[in-house]
Amino acid sequence: MLSRVADNLYWFGRYLQRAENTARLVNVHANLLLDLPRNVPVGWQPLLEIAGADESFRATAQEATEDNVVRFLLVDERNPGAVFSSLNFAREIARVSRDCMPREAWERLNDLYLFVQDRGEKSVMRARRQEFLQGVITGAMTIYGLLTANMSRDVGFQFLRMGTNLEQADMSTRILDARSSRLITYDAALSPFDNIQWMSVLKSLTAYQMYRRHVKSRVSGTTVLRFLLQNREFPRSVIFCLNMLGSALPHLPESRKVTRALERTKALVMDANIDALITKPDALPTFMDEIQVGLGHLDDAIAESYFRV
Amino acid sequence: MAVQWQNYQNPANYDELLKQDGTPRPGGEQLHDYLTKLTGKELAERQLAAELAIKVMGVTFTVYTEGKNVDRAWPFDIIPRVISGTEWDKTEAGLKQRTRALNHFIQDIYGEQRIIKAGVFPAEVLADSANFRKQCVGVKPRGGIWAHICGTDLVRDGDGTLYVLEDNLRVPSGVSYMLENRLVTKRVWPEIFGNSTIRPVDEYPAQLYDMLAALSPRLLEVPTVVLLTPGIYNSAYFEHAYLAQQMGVELVEGTDLFVGEEDCVYMRTIHGAKRVDVIYRRVDDLFLDPEAFRPDSILGVPGLMRAWIKGRVALANAPGAGVADDKVVYAYVPGMIKYYLGEEVLLPNVPSYLCMDDKQREYVLANLDKLVVKPANESGGYGMLIGPRSTKEEQGKFRELILKNPRNYMAQPTLALSTAPTICGAGVEPRHLDLRPFILSRADGGTYVTTGGLTRVAMVKGSLIVNSSQGGGSKDTWIVDIEAAAAGQSQSQQQSQLTAKKPSQTLARQSRQQGGKDAL
Repeated sequence: MLSRVADNLYWFGRYLQRAENTARLVNVHANLLLDLPRNVPVGWQPLLEIAGADESFRATAQEATEDNVVRFLLVDERNPGAVFSSLNFAREIARVSRDCMPREAWERLNDLYLFVQDRGEKSVMRARRQEFLQGVITGAMTIYGLLTANMSRDVGFQFLRMGTNLEQADMSTRILDARSSRLITYDAALSPFDNIQWMSVLKSLTAYQMYRRHVKSRVSGTTVLRFLLQNREFPRSVIFCLNMLGSALPHLPESRKVTRALERTKALVMDANIDALITKPDALPTFMDEIQVGLGHLDDAIAESYFRV
Repeated sequence: MAVQWQNYQNPANYDELLKQDGTPRPGGEQLHDYLTKLTGKELAERQLAAELAIKVMGVTFTVYTEGKNVDRAWPFDIIPRVISGTEWDKTEAGLKQRTRALNHFIQDIYGEQRIIKAGVFPAEVLADSANFRKQCVGVKPRGGIWAHICGTDLVRDGDGTLYVLEDNLRVPSGVSYMLENRLVTKRVWPEIFGNSTIRPVDEYPAQLYDMLAALSPRLLEVPTVVLLTPGIYNSAYFEHAYLAQQMGVELVEGTDLFVGEEDCVYMRTIHGAKRVDVIYRRVDDLFLDPEAFRPDSILGVPGLMRAWIKGRVALANAPGAGVADDKVVYAYVPGMIKYYLGEEVLLPNVPSYLCMDDKQREYVLANLDKLVVKPANESGGYGMLIGPRSTKEEQGKFRELILKNPRNYMAQPTLALSTAPTICGAGVEPRHLDLRPFILSRADGGTYVTTGGLTRVAMVKGSLIVNSSQGGGSKDTWIVDIEAAAAGQSQSQQQSQLTAKKPSQTLARQSRQQGGKDAL
């Protein structure tokens, strides 16, 4: 397979997943704000940092108001990570890769792109936002479903799958981050709300029901964190995504670099001291950053082994 | 309401389906009968079904409009154009003859230039040729073949004669539409296919692949063949993707390839660099290699010409083949056939006046209102003057253009292009058409001609412009064998094409056809 084509499929997977998860990210943050008491000073600025969009946002010289941040994350073309931009990139790739992908996937993607283009701006407002975000999430999942159901499990599919899983692992850490103390200085006064907030993290990853079945204990920081980092069965947990990524490797030319980067990141996730992460202030965001760096190395290793020939 | 043939009036032109007396021509009887039996509603339904099929099959072409590229569904008319098997066999022989002569010419021009020394072809024409590539001088591709794929445009005049209008030797396109058109008509007219002998067209991708694979510089069982496209913004991208898929070869862009060790060409794959043996390039000469041609080209591969000249990779068509794809050089093709092959010309040229010649130019300037004036190097029907439909102002503009650069212009009488019944709104009306067959020239001397070719039709009443970029449509082309005897003949012909893959038999076959003169 041509490196360019493999690169395209890998990034298609990433962009599609990024669009979906950015919508989830905005959702979890908005819900968090609704659940917190009014006097807790939580702004929208931290969300930009979590999404990795703070620098490009600063370049626009806007104030980090709710409207501005939400618009920036959803539809602003100046943000390469915005839902709209991600879909646009995915669409450009799909356009040149139509021979590798089922036709329906292209059509659905086109629909979703037009939906966001058409409705995005109006959906910055709170009243319309929820429905819009749900539309993006469902649309992206439909496309992913069409691809999984209709694509041969050839090399191209493996690259698509690697991109999807790497992006999901990354975004899961960011969504966990969204709840972490980066937003709220640890405050005993807020502990009654703590569990509600963790529950909203679970819900934003459609993980609540599965969590209930697996964990069978009340929702708490440690159990949720353990579930979303280390559960081997839940498809949005970080370790699950990394294992899925690993299962694509036997189908590809061997690359020690990729295997090494993958094993390192997996070890980092599995060896995490969950209790310490919850109790120590700043421990969680630092740890999430570490995982994200590990995923960055993995991405580099993939690009170097397969794309930059 | 059936098709009202009595309303189908077209006395001035030769009609492909009907004779002057309104009865069908040989081979067209079945189609004529069916059309007569169908009601207007049924006909419209079939046209709609065809359009839907084209949409579902995703047959598109790209049009550039105001900086944006729009994919349009391929415009298609369901009434096929019929040519009898006997006529086609003669045409095919003429096309083979012509393509052989053209390849001799290109090789000669980049070699000894015997034809110029012999006084058959003027040196000035070459000196001013926009498609002559000095980088190709002294190169001899395998078998002396430069134009491996040739698309030759044929038109029929009022008297029924088929003329060659032009030869496309650079990156001719359209063959995928020929193949798709057949798939559509099979869906639309299954009954007629069941009842008559319509020669199949679908052998082309396999023939193309065999021709390309045989060019490989390495003796491998499965050489690496790729199709080089300028990318999705090219108007023929659909065809590039289609042919790559049909042949089972990689569709590559310039950035996928690089010239590496020992001037070999490699493609970047997830397994690392993989050597490429043959490139079917659909990128124009000037964009092929920024080191040799336009330095600003990002579509090409730096060093590709070096690799080709050293024989490390085969290119089809060879760079520089376009030297014979020039509307002035065209006028000399009959001379080439006599000079290189010593044969009588089987397919005539349209009479042409070259503006570089004083007398002929005078005639052209005096008759601008009657002639079609063409620039030497444009394609797609651009930059032409159609005399009888032009204004005085346009004629004045062309007078200036011609006087400024006489070498770049030639003129031809306005032909009464033949017509065929075409669905227009509620009824069937005559529309003008042409035909582009594709000729494959193998390095071992064998030649393959598509069965028929791509029929392009001007959808606008009275228009002579068939180019799809300018509102043209297309039809399926049926080569119909009339009698049982004729059907047998067609079979033997197919056999001879299959055996053409063996060089010794090809030689034997060719010398039989040519009386042994200058067979290779």
